[in-house]
Amino acid sequence: MNLQKKYQINKPTWCPGCGNYGILEALKRSAANLNLEPHKIVIVTGIGCSGRINNYFKCYGIHGTHGRPLPIASGIKLVNPELTVFAVSGDGDAYSIGISHFIHTVKRNSNIIYLVVNNQVFALTKGQASPTSKFGFITISTPYGTKEFPIDGVKLALSAGGTFIARGFSGNITQLSNLIKKGIKHNGFSLIDVLSPCVIYNKAQDYRWYRENIMNLDQDSSYDSNSRKQAWEIINSSSKIPTGLIFQEEKPFWEELILEKKKPIAFLDLISEEPDYRAILNEFF
Amino acid sequence: MIKSDLSIMISGQAGDGILFTGDLLAKIFKRTGLEVFTHRDFPSNIRGEPTAYTIRASEKKIYGPSDEADILVAFDCELISRHLPKVNKEGFVICDHFEKQRLNSSLEKEKIFFNIPIRKLARDYFRREIFKNVITLGILSYFLQLELDLAAEVIEEIFLQRKGKEVVDKNIRALELGKKEVERVIKENYRIQLPTKEDLNRLLITGDEAVALGALTAGCRFFSGYPICPASEIMEWLVRILPKYNGVVVQVEDEIAAIHMTLGASYAGARAMTATSGPGFSLMSEGLSLAGMAEIPIVIVYVQRLGPSTGMPTKSEQGDLNHSLFAGHGDFPRIVISPATIEDCFYLTAESFNLAEKFQCPVILLTEQLYAQNYQTVEKFDFSQIKIDRGKLITSEELISQNEFLRYKFTKDGVSPRTIPSMSNGIHMVEGNEHSESGYRDESPENRKKMMEKRMRKLKAALNYLPQPFLSGSEEAKIGIIGFGSTFGAIQEVKNILGERNLPIQTLHLRTLWPLSQDTIKNFISSKKKVFIAEHNATGQLCHLLHLVTGPNSKLKSIRKFDSQPFRIREIVERIEEEIKR
Repeated sequence: MNLQKKYQINKPTWCPGCGNYGILEALKRSAANLNLEPHKIVIVTGIGCSGRINNYFKCYGIHGTHGRPLPIASGIKLVNPELTVFAVSGDGDAYSIGISHFIHTVKRNSNIIYLVVNNQVFALTKGQASPTSKFGFITISTPYGTKEFPIDGVKLALSAGGTFIARGFSGNITQLSNLIKKGIKHNGFSLIDVLSPCVIYNKAQDYRWYRENIMNLDQDSSYDSNSRKQAWEIINSSSKIPTGLIFQEEKPFWEELILEKKKPIAFLDLISEEPDYRAILNEFF
Repeated sequence: MIKSDLSIMISGQAGDGILFTGDLLAKIFKRTGLEVFTHRDFPSNIRGEPTAYTIRASEKKIYGPSDEADILVAFDCELISRHLPKVNKEGFVICDHFEKQRLNSSLEKEKIFFNIPIRKLARDYFRREIFKNVITLGILSYFLQLELDLAAEVIEEIFLQRKGKEVVDKNIRALELGKKEVERVIKENYRIQLPTKEDLNRLLITGDEAVALGALTAGCRFFSGYPICPASEIMEWLVRILPKYNGVVVQVEDEIAAIHMTLGASYAGARAMTATSGPGFSLMSEGLSLAGMAEIPIVIVYVQRLGPSTGMPTKSEQGDLNHSLFAGHGDFPRIVISPATIEDCFYLTAESFNLAEKFQCPVILLTEQLYAQNYQTVEKFDFSQIKIDRGKLITSEELISQNEFLRYKFTKDGVSPRTIPSMSNGIHMVEGNEHSESGYRDESPENRKKMMEKRMRKLKAALNYLPQPFLSGSEEAKIGIIGFGSTFGAIQEVKNILGERNLPIQTLHLRTLWPLSQDTIKNFISSKKKVFIAEHNATGQLCHLLHLVTGPNSKLKSIRKFDSQPFRIREIVERIEEEIKR
């Protein structure tokens, strides 16, 4: 427990019972377990209750704009690949306003870890339907129930060529912190969609509902997370929502393809290493 | 006939290869020591639709196109009638013989026509019509008394590596063919004598290329962008060059990602830039606001094109001045600077990075299609003038001596010390929410007020470091002209012409548009009886901006043009003369 102290800063103000507490705990546990130094971690967040997480975890952090943590995080990682870079979004941030960045970051296979705190509702704006809300979900913005079918980020990532696709549950901190650890070690884009109850605006899907409706893939020794076929089957056919590592494969990642082991841009000394540019002018003569 | 200032217009359809011919001719003129300005008037289309390429070559320094053409080369009779009014009195037309057959014969009486079967020659000798362009270059070499060797040299430079010796030889034969053919047809002497000077390694460069080169030399090592006309060339140049200097260029999914990735890169320690035009900048305004609030230094190149909406993407306008000044939600400091010339694009881009880091705010470099995509000769850039100043970015050593690092510390000039991730004592939070000195969210009214005042103080501190306007002409002049950006060339020529007509003019060309140097503007206007504001937009956006400084002022007269074509010198001259007579 003491190991986690170095990440301690500010007291969270999430509602009692909020799933974000479990996620913060899992994040600290995984960082402590891998002995990550706070100054070598960056957490970039979007807008929503989950966006506050870097106010409660001591490290470098950016709390930016709605739906945009991924391009910010990728920019940071490309400039300094030595950092462990997390992006954290809610389901609205990731799958609604930021879905284009989501798909394109999967496509880039940028070497960052993406936690999507998925509570199926817009909570900070007080309870509107979100892109992952169940069909028929009644909210203040859908008084007659949603007329749209939910988006599943895990399916999207798998079909878009994702290389690390996992689903966690904020009520299972042990499993979640293991997934985050694996995500940190994975070379490439690690998506961890975290089922997380909102005890205020989504009372239908509380901790008990999740415990009854999820299954743990870690307990299924026959499941092979390197098999795209099995992954596709389990997320489409299972009567319960699978949690755990769903799919993983090795593929070259964005930063290594672009940077080719050059010195990180963050550490270039622009003043004393000023190169000679004169040769470049030849094309204009 | 001796000419010290010559303008040639080549017209045809998009896809004809006219841009290529024009570029070659521009390079040839440059090598003979002349000053060159090109104007590529092309449609937003790949094949078909009219294209015109005007190359102006002059003994004197020039910054814009001239009003009239001395020679019109026409590949299309429909275009002859369109462009004929632009050909001056002594001017002549070189016309593809085939096209001439369909020409309205009354037009032919207006000007001298040389009818040469250019397309037919291309087909007969080379079996491909595209050779008409190099044949035309041969024809022009005759009229302009240019050495064919010079054209051959440029052709070889372009084709030898890319397409091999055979293609080079074919093109040189086409060049000779054009010259021979015209010698055969022409009876009278219409040859033009141009002055020659030493080239002295000047550059023939576009504004977009100058911006990219300025960024490179300023230490920009990160660029992310999304293709958009007329800004893409910046990305396309940098993506070739930056990797050689440990830098990175990435094309991303949209301009929202472009600005946010740039923000991330800058935050992590890179000098970072993005470039776009109107529609893309609209998408960036959310990120612009974040840059203001989070105090992340970034450079955004805003190459204006004609709007609103998609407008005319390949034409120039200054209709986005207001957008560059006022886009983004909430109050935050920004710096908007606008190069007057292509040289200025280089030096001001480099300076943008210093301003962004010194004042930790977004810097918008506002340019225009007119010089962004057109070539001009410039003096060889002086790299020794480029200095890198990273402002209050502190080093790990400096950090050790500090007890508590406050990223948004209240300071006199509003600028706080900055660290980058990986510095062990520099951990902080960057908040888009209102925040305390440490960066963590703080919504108390007292803090909010102090923090806003801190951020806005930076603008005042910046005033002493901003690019000064170009002031030219006599202080005694009672008539003034104010402009910004690409109108510089036209306004200077207007000043010279009216000066020769005993109407002295002083001009003030603004290079910083925000924050405004109020004293400079007030002093200039108060020393004049009348001040004309010439700009390329419909509503007089610069004129409105000046009214913010002066208050209601009947001295200010707005001259506006928004028909997609650059000012003709004559239009401004006539307007001023008319107004003076009143």
